[in-house]
Amino acid sequence: MPKTDLLQGTLDLLILKILALGPNHGWGISTRIRQISREGLNASQGSLYPALHRLELAGDVRSEMKPSENNRRARVYTLTAAGRRRLETEADSWERFALSMRRILQAD
Amino acid sequence: MPQPLARLIARLRGLSRRRGVASELDEELQFHLAQEVEANRARGMTDQEARRVALRDLGGLTQTREAVRDVHSLWIEAVWRDVRYAVRALRASPAFTAIAVAVLALSVGVSASVYSVVDAVILRGLPFSEAHRLVAVGEQGADQSPGALNLVAPQNFLDWRARQDVFTGLAAAAYAEISLKGTGEAFPENLLARRVTANFFEVLRAAPMIGRPFTVENEVAGREHVAVISHRLWQRRFAGAPNVLGKRLPGQLASFEIVGVMPPAFSYPVGAAEPVEVWVPYVVGPDERVRGNDFGYYLQVIGRLRDGVSIERAQARMDQITAELAAETPRWFTDRSARVEFLQDYLTRGVRSWMLMLLGAVGCVLLIACVNLANLILARGTTRQRELGVRAALGASRGALARVLLTESLLLSVAGALLGGVLAWLAVGFLRASLPPELPRVALIAVNWRVLTVTMTMAVVIGLALGMAPVFQFVRPAAVAMMRQGQRTNTGDRRSARLRASLIVTEVALAMMLLVGGGLFLSSFARVASIDLGFDYRNVLTVRLRPLVLPPNAPPGPSPLLDVLESARAMPGVETAALAGGGLPLRGDLMTHDFTIPGSVPPRDGDIAMNQVSPDYFRVLRIPLLRGRAFTAADRPGSPPVVILNRRAAGMFFGGDAAIGQVMNWRRQDLGERTVVGIVGDIRFDGPENDARPQAFVPLAQTQTSAATLVLRTTPDAQGVLAGIHAAVAAEYPEGSAPPVHIDVQTLERHYSNLVAQRRLNMWLLTVFGVLGLGIAVIGIYGVMSYIVAQRRQEIGIRMALGALPSAILWSVIGRTSRYLSLGLILGITAAWALSGTVSGLLFGVNPHDAGIYAAVAILLSFVGFVAALVPARRAARVDPLEALRLEV
Repeated sequence: MPKTDLLQGTLDLLILKILALGPNHGWGISTRIRQISREGLNASQGSLYPALHRLELAGDVRSEMKPSENNRRARVYTLTAAGRRRLETEADSWERFALSMRRILQAD
Repeated sequence: MPQPLARLIARLRGLSRRRGVASELDEELQFHLAQEVEANRARGMTDQEARRVALRDLGGLTQTREAVRDVHSLWIEAVWRDVRYAVRALRASPAFTAIAVAVLALSVGVSASVYSVVDAVILRGLPFSEAHRLVAVGEQGADQSPGALNLVAPQNFLDWRARQDVFTGLAAAAYAEISLKGTGEAFPENLLARRVTANFFEVLRAAPMIGRPFTVENEVAGREHVAVISHRLWQRRFAGAPNVLGKRLPGQLASFEIVGVMPPAFSYPVGAAEPVEVWVPYVVGPDERVRGNDFGYYLQVIGRLRDGVSIERAQARMDQITAELAAETPRWFTDRSARVEFLQDYLTRGVRSWMLMLLGAVGCVLLIACVNLANLILARGTTRQRELGVRAALGASRGALARVLLTESLLLSVAGALLGGVLAWLAVGFLRASLPPELPRVALIAVNWRVLTVTMTMAVVIGLALGMAPVFQFVRPAAVAMMRQGQRTNTGDRRSARLRASLIVTEVALAMMLLVGGGLFLSSFARVASIDLGFDYRNVLTVRLRPLVLPPNAPPGPSPLLDVLESARAMPGVETAALAGGGLPLRGDLMTHDFTIPGSVPPRDGDIAMNQVSPDYFRVLRIPLLRGRAFTAADRPGSPPVVILNRRAAGMFFGGDAAIGQVMNWRRQDLGERTVVGIVGDIRFDGPENDARPQAFVPLAQTQTSAATLVLRTTPDAQGVLAGIHAAVAAEYPEGSAPPVHIDVQTLERHYSNLVAQRRLNMWLLTVFGVLGLGIAVIGIYGVMSYIVAQRRQEIGIRMALGALPSAILWSVIGRTSRYLSLGLILGITAAWALSGTVSGLLFGVNPHDAGIYAAVAILLSFVGFVAALVPARRAARVDPLEALRLEV
């Protein structure tokens, strides 16, 4: 299971997308990233949480402590309207970037 | 709400809830861990394994926490955290911090204050419009050193003014005093004044702020009682009343109508400690309009160069004029020429070399300080390698390491600079109070804010730059990598060791130079202070009594003065009292008079300085009587005219004791023919630095002098003597019935102090600099040797393990130190020898190449240097080989 370190901006985009699928806590986001990418991508705790807190300060997500099973509380993050807008913009530019890369790499 | 604002608010909110945020984060992370452990258990691991794998996969908890904290902290917080850490680190090495801050503060303080003084006295221009076009014009005799610029005779001035065409105007100023009567609102006082030509203000381009200057019409007898007063006088005596024009200044001899008030910024001469407050018209007396007036040189002449005229051209024109005048009146004008000099230079000429020497000494101290600081910081940087290595191993980036070192340097520099600013402010105040008042522009000395800002900024920059050096040394990527692996950079070590050794040698050399300077000036002052003046100036009060106008019918002579003398003698607190008609030692001047020695073969004549004294004069000043007798009350008008000579005069004219009984004949009528009855000891009339002159004394009662100085020897704690004197004078010269009397009180001791003030200050300053330099250099030696010993602990341990004796180790350290010391001493002596010639003009009675002083300083420096090295040497000798070898880095 190759672990690839993710760039900060890319991680932000992934988090936003995961949260667009529904509010979640940190562990849930991390698991889903692994699941959906079929273990292709992994976000370490040391980069995930700073990214989440940064997104919250930027106003793209909001959070609250919610009780969960086995008597612990978890911080659940939700996408805000601004975050949704940001997700659309950045996903768009990422797609264009990927397309350009593919074109060049497949040129002969 | 705009995004940045929302973000800021969120952050600030985060700040206030920080502790809550931290514990909630912990909870969040704990939840994450628990979930991961659960998932592992679901995959079939045991509890223990699940936890272990989870912890491994999740990475460092601390790092996560720090990363999140970094996200939440404002930029300011990170800086504040750095500062707090830096403070802690600096507090951990108090010696280093204290020394570094002290060295910086001294650099800033000393350089800013001395520069402020030099700036005010020499460098700053005169406060007049286009002051660089102002010149002083004076006379120069052929027998004088080039560069002398003397006061001018009135007719010369008139001739020059009439014939010149290179100046927009030539103006003249003469010293004067105006004694004001007491009025209902104000006390009598003595004002310093100047008699000036009408174009004086025009030449300076300074106009009164109220009223107008006087005109050429006022330069005529009968219309000359007008005055322009200073702003200070206006405030003090007229309470700044707006209708001051037309009011009168009630002088004792004449009352002046005020026609103008100068603005507060105007002063001429510029910045003297006792300012001139009145300017009145200068009237040339009819008997002064003569070419060939041999003793009437008293004018200071200034001019403003015309546009496009250089000073060389002006000088050439003046030379032409002088040649013309010489051709017209050859007898008088031979060997005299006119000299033109920039006014600025003229006012500061005497002190220029002194100021430059001061700047040089300060420069030395600064250099030593910088070198020392460099040493200190380099040493500290090297010893912190291990700490930096640990930080790098823990994951600190290059930038983080740099930030740590930079914050420390910044803190140090700022602290040092601020402290230095305070020091400069204190020092300037002290210097202004202690500088001799004859130094030009003393009153203008103030902290020069421009200079202070520059020096403080420089201190910060230098501190930062020196602090950066370890950053560059250790924060190269290769170095960082090596530190991570726990090694030291070897080549850097050797290079820095050589650098530090050369710094030490420089420090020693500079300290040597400073100490030699200190020694020279100390010796010079000691010589001056130890000179026997020939009389005792302590506890002597002098009161100059000068009737301003001689009454037309009163008999000439000192009888009213003698009555005052009697009253003074009877006063409690007065031990002995006397009168002197001429000047007093250390102040004033004596007139010389021609005489012949009748009956001498071959015929002899000469001139000699004379004083008219009452009988107790020699007792008051404790001048010893060597032969014959002193004057008594019996020496009166009508009794045989007598004279007393001092030993120098007796030796010069009569070969010594044979003078007693000889006759001398003066040309002046009231002196006439007199017999020598006594010989007294020589006194240094002009102060300790001038030799005794031949002098003659005649009894005051046998002359017609009507002005004299009362000389009193008082008991050390006498009070009320002054009031008694005033009462006696008032009784003798009551107001309204007799001429008004001008009184001037001084102590001889104060005059002596003034005369040696300059030397005392030089000595004090240079000694302080020398000691400062020495102290800093010694600290440097101690620091370097300690560092070297610390670096070589392993090597020392090995040597001792192999059988070297502790004493051998000690001597090897001492030996290394002595190598540095000797090199530094040699350099220092050479430099001091070369430079000391330039200050010989400032020394008195001391040879700038006095081998004794150099030797003494060298011995002192060596001794202190060895003592400084002793501590680290002993530390080296006490190294425990086992400990040292175990300390594997």
